[in-house]
Amino acid sequence: MKKFIKNSILFILLLLIVGEFVVRFTHAVSDIPRRTIDNTGIQKYIINQTGYWKGGDHKWKINDLGWPGDLPTSFDNLITIIGDSYIENFMNPNECHQGPLLKKRMSDYNFMEAGRSGVSFIEAMEISKHLDTLQPVQTLIYVNDNDFYESITEIKKMRDITQINLEKNQIIYGEMKSPGLKKVLYNWKLLYYFYNRYPINFSNKNKENEIKKPDFDKVLKLKDKISELFKFIKINYNTSNKTLVFHPRTNKYFIKLAEEHGFKTIVLDSSKDNKSWTFDYDSHWTCYGHEQVANQVTIGLIEYLKGKGH
Amino acid sequence: MLFNSIEFFIFLPIVFTIYWLIGSKRIKQQNLLIAIASYVFYGWWDWRFLFLILFSSLVDYTIGLKLKSEDKPSKRKALLWVSICVNLGFLGFFKYYNFFVDSLVDSFTFFGRELSINTLNIILPVGISFYTFQTLSYTIDVYNKKLEPTKDFLAFMAFVSFFPQLVAGPIERATNLLPQFHVKREFVYKDAVDGLRQALWGLFKKVVIADNCATYANMIFNNQEDYSGSTLLMGAFFFAFQIYGDFSGYSDIAIGISRLFGFNLKRNFAFPYFSRDIAEFWRRWHISLSTWFRDYLYIPLGGSRGGTKMKVRNTFIIFIVSGFWHGANWTFVVWGALNAIYFLPLLLLNKNRVNTNLVAEGKYLPTIREVFQMATTFFITLIAWIFFRADNVTNAFVYIKDMFTSSLFIKPEIFPLTILGLVTFFAFIEWLGRSGEYAIEKIDFMKRPVRWCFYFLLVVLIFSFTGEQQEFIYFQF
Repeated sequence: MKKFIKNSILFILLLLIVGEFVVRFTHAVSDIPRRTIDNTGIQKYIINQTGYWKGGDHKWKINDLGWPGDLPTSFDNLITIIGDSYIENFMNPNECHQGPLLKKRMSDYNFMEAGRSGVSFIEAMEISKHLDTLQPVQTLIYVNDNDFYESITEIKKMRDITQINLEKNQIIYGEMKSPGLKKVLYNWKLLYYFYNRYPINFSNKNKENEIKKPDFDKVLKLKDKISELFKFIKINYNTSNKTLVFHPRTNKYFIKLAEEHGFKTIVLDSSKDNKSWTFDYDSHWTCYGHEQVANQVTIGLIEYLKGKGH
Repeated sequence: MLFNSIEFFIFLPIVFTIYWLIGSKRIKQQNLLIAIASYVFYGWWDWRFLFLILFSSLVDYTIGLKLKSEDKPSKRKALLWVSICVNLGFLGFFKYYNFFVDSLVDSFTFFGRELSINTLNIILPVGISFYTFQTLSYTIDVYNKKLEPTKDFLAFMAFVSFFPQLVAGPIERATNLLPQFHVKREFVYKDAVDGLRQALWGLFKKVVIADNCATYANMIFNNQEDYSGSTLLMGAFFFAFQIYGDFSGYSDIAIGISRLFGFNLKRNFAFPYFSRDIAEFWRRWHISLSTWFRDYLYIPLGGSRGGTKMKVRNTFIIFIVSGFWHGANWTFVVWGALNAIYFLPLLLLNKNRVNTNLVAEGKYLPTIREVFQMATTFFITLIAWIFFRADNVTNAFVYIKDMFTSSLFIKPEIFPLTILGLVTFFAFIEWLGRSGEYAIEKIDFMKRPVRWCFYFLLVVLIFSFTGEQQEFIYFQF
C-alpha cells in the first residue's frame, strides 16, 4: 500500500507539472492581468504586463497608465475612450480596439482607451474625472443597461465595483475581490484551467448576486433612482465634453435620460447588419463588430466635433 | 453518479481510503462500506429507486435460502418462478409497460378498432436491466444447485448493488462475484495499478472517443434528411465508435475500479471490431450479456442441439430477446433480428466457430483476407447499428436507403479531421494491444518514464477533448 500511495503521489505531482506546462504552452487559459487600486480609488491594471488570450494568437499589453492597449503618440487633440470589457477587449488584437480603429477613421485626433471589465457608469465618470487632466476634446463612454443598475448600491450592492450610495450622496470605491485566490489562480495556470472548466457551483450565492435585467415595469420603478444618478453626475462631473455610446438594444429610457441631462449620445445599431457583431461563444464584439462600432461612432463624433468648431 | 463526473472523482478516493483503512481482516465491515457506498452512488441519481434494489435483494436472498431448505421439485420450481416474476415484473413494468400499451393500441388501430388505454409517466430506473439479470442469475444458479445460497445478507446486498458495475455492468454471475464477498480481499499493488490503468483507458474511450463521436453521430442522425450518402455512412461510423467507446469504456472503468477494491469482474469486451465474422463479433461484444442469454435462455431452449428448425428458432429468440433487452422500441427488435440473420448462415453451415483464435496472432499486420473479413464484419455491424440508433424503424430504413445513393461517393459534408485522427489513434492502440484483456494491459514491458508519458498523454487528451458531459448510453438499458 505504501508503494501505491508513494507512486500515486509522485504520479499526481508529475502530472501537475506536465499539466501546467501543457496549459501554458497551448494557451489553454487566458492570461489575466493583475489589478491594482490607485490612490484615487480606481481599479486598473499593474503596468507593463503582457499575456495571451485563449483562442487568439495576439498578445494583450497593459500600457504605462495601467490600461490595456497602446498609448497615443501625442495627447494633442485627444479623445478618451472609457468602457468595460468591450473596451478592454482582450479577446481581439490591438488593431481591433476602438482607439486604433477610430484613429484610422479620424487621423487628426489621438485616441486613448481606459477599459476594464466590470466598470459601472459612475466608475466611468470617476475615471473620466482623472483623464480630464489630459484635457481631452471629447470623452466617449461606452455603456449598456447594466452599467446604470450596477452604479447604484440601492439597486444592488457590489463590493468590487465603484458605486454610489444615493441616500448619502457618497461614492463607494470598489475593493479587490479575493486578491489572494486570484494571485494563486493567475500564477497556477492549471488550477485556473480547472477553475474555468469545472466551475464550483455556488448556485444560491450566484443567484443572489446576479443582476437580472429588469423588464420595462421594473425600469419604471427604478427610474427615480437612475434619474437621481444622472442628477448627481450632472452636479459633480463635467459632462459638457462627454458622449455616451450606447450598445445596441439599450433601453431607450436611459438614452432619453442621458440626453435630458446634457450628454451627447451615439446609439449603436446592429439590427441592419446581417453579420453578427459578436463571438458565437461570447457576447463581446469580434473584430468585425468593433469595426462597425467604430464606423457608427465616427459618424456621430464628427457631427459633434463640427458643432464644437473642430 | 457518473464515472466521468467531479462527484465521482471525490467519492472514489474517499471510499477507497476508508475501505483499506478498515483492513482486509474485517470483511463484514468492508462489505458494509461497499453496500453503503453503492447505495450512495445509486441514490445520487434518484434515492427513491434504492427501495427497488433493496426489495429485489431481499426477495432473491430469501428465495435463495428457501431453495436450499426445500427438496420438493414443484415447490422449488414455484420459488424460482416467484423470483423470475418479481424481477421480470419490475423490469417489465418500468421498462416495457408503455411500449406494450402503445403497441396494443397501434395494433387495434391497424385493424380498424379504437382502444383507449393511457400510458403512464414512468421513470426508468437506471441500470434495472443489469441488476435484475444479476440477481436472477443468483436464484437460477441456486435452483440448479450450481451455487450454495448465501446466509450473509450484507454480502448479498453488496453483491447486488456493487457500485462499479451496478448501473451498466458487466452483468456478473453470482458464481463469480458473490464468493469474492465472503473471502479476504488483499491489497495487491500490481492489481491496483492494473486497475487504475484499465480505468484510465476506459475513461479515455468514454470521454475522448465516445463523447466526441456522439457529437457528430447525433448531428447526422438527428438531421439525416439533410446529408449525402457519404455523410450518413460517416454518421453510422461515428455511432459505431460512440457505442463501443461508451460501453466498453464503462466496462473498463468498472473492472478497473473493482480491482482497486480487490475484486475481479468478468471481461465484457474483447476487441469486437477486429472480428472476422459475426459469430466472432458476438463472442467479443458485451460478453457478460451474451453468455447470460446463452446459459439461461439459449441452452435451456435446446441450444443448437436440435434440428435446423430448432436452431433457427432458438437463434432468433436469443437475438430478438437480446435486442429487446436493450430497450422498449421496435428498432432494437429489428437490430436483434438482423444480427440473427447475419449469424444463422454461419450456424447452419457449422462455421460459427471458425474464428476462435486471435486475429493475426503474433503478427503486426493482418493478411489481406483478414482485412477483408474484418472490414465486411464491421460494415454489416455498422448497418445493424443504424437500427439501434434510429428513433424508429422507418427512419432507419430511410437512412439506409439515402445512404446507398450516388452521393455515397462524394466528399462528406462532415469530415472532422481531429476526431477521425483520435479514432485512428484509438484503433491503432487497440490493435497493438489486442492480445491483452484490454488494449494497454501489456504496456508494462516499457520502462516507467515511457509508460508514464503515455499515461500523461491520455490524461491530457481526456482534459483537452472533454466534450459536453454525456451520460453513458447503456444507462438507459
